[in-house]
Amino acid sequence: MHQWQGVSTRWWGWMSLLGLGLITMTLGAVPSWAADETPQYSVWLVESSRFMRVPFGAFVPDRVFIPNSTDPQHNINTVDLPVNVGVIKGGKDVVLYDTGWKQQEYLKMTGSEHWAPLPEQLALLGIKPEDVTKIVIGHGHWDHAGQLEDFPNAMLYVQKEELQGIEWALTYPHPKISAVNTSPGGCNRTPACGYPPLTIDQIYGKVLRGKAVIVDGMMEIAPGLIIHPAYRAHTAGSQLLQVNTARGQLLFGSDAFSSWEGIRDWMVANVQQTDTVQQFLAYEKCYRITGGYDNCVSAHEPLSYSDKYPLTKNAWTGPNGSRMAELVLAPGEPSRKPK
Amino acid sequence: MVVLGLAGIVLLATLHEQRTLPTPDAGASDVLASVPPPLTAAEEAYAAALWPIHSDVKVSAVQMTFAGLSYKLGELDRGGLHVRLHGLNERFAAATVQLRQLQPPASMQTLHGEYREALRLYQEAVVEMVRVIDDGRDAHLLDAQAQSEKAAAILMKLSDALWPGEYKPN
Repeated sequence: MHQWQGVSTRWWGWMSLLGLGLITMTLGAVPSWAADETPQYSVWLVESSRFMRVPFGAFVPDRVFIPNSTDPQHNINTVDLPVNVGVIKGGKDVVLYDTGWKQQEYLKMTGSEHWAPLPEQLALLGIKPEDVTKIVIGHGHWDHAGQLEDFPNAMLYVQKEELQGIEWALTYPHPKISAVNTSPGGCNRTPACGYPPLTIDQIYGKVLRGKAVIVDGMMEIAPGLIIHPAYRAHTAGSQLLQVNTARGQLLFGSDAFSSWEGIRDWMVANVQQTDTVQQFLAYEKCYRITGGYDNCVSAHEPLSYSDKYPLTKNAWTGPNGSRMAELVLAPGEPSRKPK
Repeated sequence: MVVLGLAGIVLLATLHEQRTLPTPDAGASDVLASVPPPLTAAEEAYAAALWPIHSDVKVSAVQMTFAGLSYKLGELDRGGLHVRLHGLNERFAAATVQLRQLQPPASMQTLHGEYREALRLYQEAVVEMVRVIDDGRDAHLLDAQAQSEKAAAILMKLSDALWPGEYKPN
């Protein structure tokens, strides 16, 4: 009896598999577990400009300079910080993660060098401004949300929480709270620092033209491209972008990931409207999604475009001394790195 | 003896300074060249007098932007938009009156005129936005936004000249 029951169970098992196979063949469908259809993207990093000689301790407090120190954690006085923009291409989409800022005749941004127009940099990657379909801004600060009007076809993705945070800060009645970069004495780390009204007007322009999506939390904006909220990891509505690639998942972090060394060595960086616990949780999200720190894409890492930040080492020099790097190519995508 | 001693000290000091003063490299020169010249006393006085006016204008401008944003995102109806815009025109008008009372130094005359122009653009933008309340046409918002953005660019230019703040990475 027991033996017969055992044979019967195996027999039913084989019949079930056979039936499943027949159904699959009949429908012509490939089960999702049999083949991952998520597209893989090509990814480049472009340096919008470089902030020169920023005191290391102002950027990463744990790396503050101590004169005459031989400790490698404390013997670097200043660092040059790139302003990195992500360029992501795959399927029908060309996506920018952050858009740097726009230098104008009256706006030189003291202490900044190597600025180049983003359309000119994209041309070297074979991309025209009208090809850009989506722009995800990691947050709304002036050095990450500029040049929006140069990409008229692109849909802008910004967190609702970010807009609410900006409105609260910029309309706050006390000038200390609402101080922006050009307020007398600067703005240090006030809640409105980094948000000149002009930048907000340009975001508003996108909304008015029906070219903005106000994101409330997590959102898949295309297969293999997922926005993750990282509230207060740098600003009220910071957001990360997960990208499926041939070298695994990449996670762009804008200023939630200002310093790649910070993610690697667990140090806060570029504290602005930041809850440091939330910044660490954003780091943790990168470890969890990408399997470590190698594929976390940082906005201002001084080691960018060098062997010391391996993801970005395949680099070259572009317009006005700005740097560019090819992080990964999708199958069939030709390299854009000059020979 | 004393003269020789003093000359020796001067010589030593000169040699010491030559040894210890860092020589700026080309990059540093570029950075220094981009630093704007300091304001004169008269310019500083003008900037100080303009600051409270500018603070109010900035807040009003941002309130106008966010009123339009909330309306466009469906968080406000036309009645709500009316409430949010109420009083903004008067505040821009009051700022214009206060601005007229300032005496800019000759070097600031152009900027002063541009500020007046920015206020005019903001006032026009408010008037244009109010028209949405009457007919519900979004075209008014687009026109108003174009004027407001021009005004914001002027304010940015002025701010950069008058209160050359920090442009650290944010």
